[in-house]
Amino acid sequence: MPLIRIDDQEIEAPQGETILRVALKHGITIPYYCYHPALSIVGQCRMCLVEVKGAPKPLTACSTTIGALPPDKKIEGKYDMVVSTKSETARKAQRGVLEFLLLNHPLDCPICDQAGECQLQEYSYTFGDPASRLEFEKVHAPKRVDIGPHVVFDVERCIKCTRCIRFCQEISKTGELTLSERGVHTRVDTFPGRKLDNPYSVCTVDICPVGALTSREFRFKERVWFLKSVNSVCQECARGCSVRVDAYKGEVLRLVPRDNPQVNGPWMCDYGRLITERMKGLDLAGRPLLRSGSAWQGYEWKDFGAALVERVGGSPASKSESWAVVLSGRLSLEEMAGAQAVSQAFFKRSAGPVPDVAWGEDDELLIRKERRPNLMGARLMGIPVGEQNAPLSGLFAGKKAALILREDVVGDAQGAEKAAIQKALGAMDLVIVADSSFTETARLAHVFIPLAGWHEMEGVYVNFLGVAQKTARAVVPPRDRRPFHEVASLWLTAAGHDAPEPTFLGWHARVKESVPGLAETSIKELLPHGLQVLDAPAKKKVKKGEGA
Amino acid sequence: MTEVLKLLTRNVGKPNSTHVDAYMGSGGYEPLMTVLHKWTPEQTLNEVKGANLKGRGGAGFPAGLKWSFLPRGKEVLKYLVCNADESEPGTFKDRLLIENDPHSILEGIIIAGWATQAAGCFFYIRGEMPAGARIFQKAVDQAYAKGFLGKNILGSGFNFDVWVSRGAGAYICGEETALMDSLEGKRGQPRLKPPFPAGYGVYGVPTNINNVESYANVPLIIKNGASWYTAIGSSSAPGTRLFGISGHVKRPGVFELPSGVTLRELIYEHAGGILGDRPLKAVIPGGSSVPVLRADQIDVTMDPDGLKAVGTMLGSAGVIVMNDSVCMVKALLNLMEFYAHESCGQCTPCREGTHWLELIVRRLEEGGGRPSDCDLILDVAGNIMGRTICPLGDAAAMPAISFVQQFRQEFEAHAREGRCPMRDVRMTAAI
Repeated sequence: MPLIRIDDQEIEAPQGETILRVALKHGITIPYYCYHPALSIVGQCRMCLVEVKGAPKPLTACSTTIGALPPDKKIEGKYDMVVSTKSETARKAQRGVLEFLLLNHPLDCPICDQAGECQLQEYSYTFGDPASRLEFEKVHAPKRVDIGPHVVFDVERCIKCTRCIRFCQEISKTGELTLSERGVHTRVDTFPGRKLDNPYSVCTVDICPVGALTSREFRFKERVWFLKSVNSVCQECARGCSVRVDAYKGEVLRLVPRDNPQVNGPWMCDYGRLITERMKGLDLAGRPLLRSGSAWQGYEWKDFGAALVERVGGSPASKSESWAVVLSGRLSLEEMAGAQAVSQAFFKRSAGPVPDVAWGEDDELLIRKERRPNLMGARLMGIPVGEQNAPLSGLFAGKKAALILREDVVGDAQGAEKAAIQKALGAMDLVIVADSSFTETARLAHVFIPLAGWHEMEGVYVNFLGVAQKTARAVVPPRDRRPFHEVASLWLTAAGHDAPEPTFLGWHARVKESVPGLAETSIKELLPHGLQVLDAPAKKKVKKGEGA
Repeated sequence: MTEVLKLLTRNVGKPNSTHVDAYMGSGGYEPLMTVLHKWTPEQTLNEVKGANLKGRGGAGFPAGLKWSFLPRGKEVLKYLVCNADESEPGTFKDRLLIENDPHSILEGIIIAGWATQAAGCFFYIRGEMPAGARIFQKAVDQAYAKGFLGKNILGSGFNFDVWVSRGAGAYICGEETALMDSLEGKRGQPRLKPPFPAGYGVYGVPTNINNVESYANVPLIIKNGASWYTAIGSSSAPGTRLFGISGHVKRPGVFELPSGVTLRELIYEHAGGILGDRPLKAVIPGGSSVPVLRADQIDVTMDPDGLKAVGTMLGSAGVIVMNDSVCMVKALLNLMEFYAHESCGQCTPCREGTHWLELIVRRLEEGGGRPSDCDLILDVAGNIMGRTICPLGDAAAMPAISFVQQFRQEFEAHAREGRCPMRDVRMTAAI
């Protein structure tokens, strides 16, 4: 393997690897804009110029590859390449390019959403000159281009790194974007009659190094340095993309993909990301509720356990065969364990099934048609999973009582099916619904248990590939909503049963007993990229229409 | 006075010179028959290599050597490209050949195709040369009719096609890889190298690209032999050159002379001296992209070595002559406008730097300049030079740097006086 020196670090680097990749791997800072590890290399921004010994001019670190020299030609007797990223030549080249990039950049950082996470800002402080030598009017360009349904384009801020163009060509394979015009008027543009409209369009906002492409949903919402970020898992399909949740003052403001090679790479779909919009205006319930007739009675949690035990115990529907216990694939493993324990203690039967809700199609990048993030988790817990999109009315027919967790069985159904479910639930003696919002199903309940939302709790989710990932709490529930495993502890202890501590860790220990892949693991191993807890299926391209 | 050698221009001015019959009447296509029937591709390639034919597009890379970079063998699909996107300011030599003797170019291309065993050649001609495109297409049609193109050429078993393709008005498409992107129907933008065209060219196929004049030399080399060719002109860059002279000379035009003729002889003998018999002020010797020379620097030979000695280059051999009525700041402004307009915009130093240079030079010419502007021009141009994907950045930086270095006093006078000091001279010279 060639031996190279970058600044004063000696590195053995594989032949054909680029200087930039080797430097990044070894913690050496080389500024860059157009390079992106998941996109092709174009060498256009020229920011990563470094001095390479023997080269007549500075070379771009992103595109210059490492080769081997014959033994008698080695530099200083041993090196195949000697690179300097901080020499006067390198620094002058970097400063020069940065000055060019800032020349016609509007410097409207005070009103720019990217401020605080802008590479142009950061490199300017590190590598740039404090004063501009431009004494002319800057070149102006449109500021608010409606480039797509979820993306707004500020042409002036763009530094023409073309990452967004390459994303649309190489990753989403939709090819909406191109460069148009020439010289200093060069701009990113959509082809005539097209919009930046594909299922992954907001990824262009993620990879835009400046504030040129901004998210329509997030722009002007909050300065990024106020955001509190946690690692989490997207809830919107069986892929379970690794995400970072950015929240402020109890509100989730955006989801950003975390680079996770075994799950989603650096991308996520717009639908998953825009869960922030769908969470708005949900009818959130804050307290446990019991209904008698048409009147709801609110309870404090400390009294609720006993009330629950009494209500269930007093129900004529105490025989196991009269209960329907429907769990959702949105429950975390710990919540499923809680549901399982409750079901066995009070209904003398196993929990389940878990409906396999699916719509749309698998695509070739990330999206799965199975829309629940923890279906594989249910399978691993030994909880039965129903047939895909099987009607649920059959589960309730002839039953006297139901426990329905995190699944709006009424609201998600349509037509005759919806009427059948409504009729079945309406005829029951006891319907217990637990969810994070007051759903249509909740309206038919006798007992409503307010659950913490996915963003308000910790939990472990297993995606369709068998990768288990842990979420963290992004916001403290503004009202007293709790994850179901905490409710289960409350319920079980109120009736005198043994129960784990009402915490994530308490129930996670229970999960480890039932999921073999997790048995000898620690929580740390589930972070940040997750752990493969079952043999991964053979890596093959998922063809359209070929689902689980 | 150096004797005018009519080799490349042997048919220029003859009646009906663009017709295949006229071309064949003067021995045309005989070199092609020779190589197809008697020479192996390897022999043909070696003959051109031996002639040390330096590329005529501007960079001066040996053509035969370039051909030899292509993978060998008939089985490998390969293309040739003829770069007829002649758009360097001050350069108009290829146009003369295209419009007057297209068959000499075509014959060179077919011989190159035989030597490299390529499948065909794309003839990419500048969009603003509609007549040339028409004439060349006609020549191609005639060559097909005579069996010099197509399947099994002259019974040799060699198949070769030529496709004429017109540019759409971008200077940058004269850069070889931008030309290829443009040919493929994409936005004409230089590609990052490596990979070089010999490995990854048009449509990703190994490709050899040469200038019009380079190909036109090939039949002459085949007909007369490499040793005959190397005896003409300078030993380091043999053969004749088509010098295109424009600007303040009495007889502007294209002159075919052995390389190595002096610049002084070119201007004062062949081009008839300076217009208005005024003093010479400056000469750009090789197309607008090369460093400018002062009047006292013209006793140099017009070959790569001679011009290198005075810090400039032969480039495309387009000589731009300026007499003492020319304001060098205004002349530079003209060039800077051109490069800022033609920068493709993909890489930062050229996109932003050419525009900035134009602004600085315009401010100087219009009287708003600062004494520090000379150093600013040198620094900005220095930040472009050697930092870009393709040579357009250098092409803009070199004149900027050389104009300031060679005529610094005139630039400073602009800043000092707050106006163009040449204004009155320009008015009265009236030429």
